[in-house]
Amino acid sequence: MPLEILGVGALLFGLFFCAVGVLGVIRMPDSLTRLHASGKVATLGLFGILLGAALLMPTAWLRLLTLGLFVLLTSPVATHAIAASVHRRREIVGELVETDAPEEHPDFSGVDVTAVLSRSRIQDIIEAQERALRQRGPEARPKRDD
Amino acid sequence: MIESPFAQTAIQLILLALVSLLIPASYRVIVGPTLPDRLQAVDLITTLLIGIIVLLALVEGTENFVDMAIALAAFAFIGTISIARYISEGRVY
Repeated sequence: MPLEILGVGALLFGLFFCAVGVLGVIRMPDSLTRLHASGKVATLGLFGILLGAALLMPTAWLRLLTLGLFVLLTSPVATHAIAASVHRRREIVGELVETDAPEEHPDFSGVDVTAVLSRSRIQDIIEAQERALRQRGPEARPKRDD
Repeated sequence: MIESPFAQTAIQLILLALVSLLIPASYRVIVGPTLPDRLQAVDLITTLLIGIIVLLALVEGTENFVDMAIALAAFAFIGTISIARYISEGRVY
C-alpha cells in the first residue's frame, strides 16, 4: 500500500509537469520559449509517469527503464533539431536571439569574404543581402546582368 | 493488474486528465504561426501519447504495452529529426 501511494504521487508529479508544459506551449510568446516549455514535458513529466509506473508495476521496471533512457537520449536531439530549424529559417531575429552570423553584421557588407567562407555560407550571405535590399525597397536593388 | 480500488481509480483519473491534455496541445498544431511550431507541437503530442500508453499498460495490467511505447518513441524521434531537417534545409539528407 505505501508503494502504491508513492506510485500515484509520482504519477501526479508527472501529470503536473505535463499540464505545465502544455500550458507553456500555448501561452509562451515565441518558438524558442515554447521549446523550453515542451522540454519539461519530455523530461520531468514523462519521467514522473515512468517512475510511477515502475512503482505500481514492478515487474516491468526494465522496459520502463529502457523507455526512459531512450527518451533521455533522443528528446534533447529532437529539441535541438527543431531549435536549429527555427534559427536557420530566421524566424526570430532581434531581442531574444543575438545575430551570430557574420553576414548580418553591418561591417561585413563591403568585405570580400568569398576567400575564407565555404559555398553554403556564401549562399547565406547572398540571401541575407537580397533580404536586406528587399526591406529597403525595390529601387535599391542593383541591376544584375546575368 | 492493480487490485486496490484506490490505485485503480487514481490511475484512471490521471489517464483521463492526460488524454484531455491532448486537446489544448493540438491548439498549437492548428494555429501555430510557423512551421517549426507545428512540428514542435506534434512532438509534444507524441510525448504525451507515450505517457498515455504507459498509463494504459497500468490500467490493463499488460506489460507489453510498454514495448509499444518504445516503438512509438523511436518512430517519433526519426520523424521529428527528418521533418526538422526538411523544413530548415529543404531536403532530408
